[in-house]
Amino acid sequence: MKPVKQTTMKLSFGSAIMRSLIICTALFSMSVPVLAGELNLSVAASLKEVINELTTSFTAKHPGTVFLKNFSGSGVLAGQIENGAPADIFISANTEWVDYLKGKKLVDGESQLTFAYNSLVFAGTTSKKVSSINDLSKLDKIAIGSPKSVPAGDYAMTAMTRAGIAAKMANKLIMAKDVRECLMYAELGEVDGAFVYKTDALQAKKAKVLFVVPQELYPRVVYPAVLTIKGSQNDEAKAFHAYLQGNEAKSVLNKFGFALK
Amino acid sequence: MKTLTPEDITAIGLSLKVAITATTLALPFGFAVAWLMVFKTFRGKVVLEVLINLPLTLPPVVIGYFLLLLLGKNGWLGQLLSASGIPIIFTWKAAVIASAVVGFPLLVRSIRLGMESIDQQLIQASRSLGASWHDSLVTIVLPLSLRGILSGSSLMFARSLGEFGATIIVAGNIPGITQTIPLAIYDYASSPSSTAMALSLCLVSVVISVVVLFLHEMLGKQFDRSKGL
Repeated sequence: MKPVKQTTMKLSFGSAIMRSLIICTALFSMSVPVLAGELNLSVAASLKEVINELTTSFTAKHPGTVFLKNFSGSGVLAGQIENGAPADIFISANTEWVDYLKGKKLVDGESQLTFAYNSLVFAGTTSKKVSSINDLSKLDKIAIGSPKSVPAGDYAMTAMTRAGIAAKMANKLIMAKDVRECLMYAELGEVDGAFVYKTDALQAKKAKVLFVVPQELYPRVVYPAVLTIKGSQNDEAKAFHAYLQGNEAKSVLNKFGFALK
Repeated sequence: MKTLTPEDITAIGLSLKVAITATTLALPFGFAVAWLMVFKTFRGKVVLEVLINLPLTLPPVVIGYFLLLLLGKNGWLGQLLSASGIPIIFTWKAAVIASAVVGFPLLVRSIRLGMESIDQQLIQASRSLGASWHDSLVTIVLPLSLRGILSGSSLMFARSLGEFGATIIVAGNIPGITQTIPLAIYDYASSPSSTAMALSLCLVSVVISVVVLFLHEMLGKQFDRSKGL
């Protein structure tokens, strides 16, 4: 009696696995519909609001286009594209990662254009008087993006080094995983202030811009947009790439505080 | 594959330090809570149960954010601590607290399993022979739940080594101060040019985890043997 029972149990267990496998396969194939006008964007996180607005207005004119957007740190995105992530257009927060992908022959260098510019500011809630980079030594804690992976943090380090205060600041730096985390620390008052992009500081509610970092202290923050090799064969991608240079794109960039020149 | 930088070595040391401290600190609390849950009946037991297991299901980022609000400048605990001159946020202590909170449910679960397998009659016998509750706790419950304590500690230790989400919010990612192995790997993995460095640290991470889990199994086996099972 017993062995028979066990086999039936095993059988039903096996068929349960089969059934769940079939369901899983069905679910997965449903969640990735193959559409003609599908467009994959890999975009630096700081451009999130701008790109969301632009894709909405683009789909209003080209109803067939479906955008799949991936927002993250530029280095992360470059790594994903290198490892085969689907991307038609890559908008990076610095030229370094576009050059990196050019070196790997993954993007079409001829399509590269400068989408926007940004600038570095110091924002915070501190009551101490801070009006220039030399006043930073008065503060106790300052948030910057982790220089290895966050371009804004890298620029902040360069600026402090060129201003000659890097050594004094070494023990006061709190490294965050991205610019938005820096801003969160500043908003909560956990740090006296943070190096963030001007466009991020404009989104802050409590933290105020205490000073603008002089441009001669750090390299210009540019956002290059480039078609990938796959994207250069896609008409929709080319159309959106052209749209990024149009007047509508310019007014949206303006609205969010990005510079065009 | 590349050799590790001094910063990576510090990260490895820090990870171990954080995991050991978190586990050691949590152990007495874990034991006490497990004892409460197994041997006591009281009102609100279900609520306590849910609260303890919450970190197991909550996203670690949520825990990190709550801890930041609680221990930060404006949090009531943070104000208390900064008044007594103990800064927590953005120090390695914050990483310990994050790991302790996230790993606590694993610890309690294992100890509970150990305690639940104790024969109730042993405890009753000891009580009827005149042992006070703390006597039977130390001489019966503690030794008989040793296996649960060991396996819980090693699980929690392993979980602490891997803690990322809560730590990066509440302790920051400061090389040499609060950057543990997962945070260092995240830093490397965020820039494709340093994938080789990321892989070296990943390997270290795998080796440590395998050793810990191996010890976890070995301890369990040895314990079985010494009990004659």
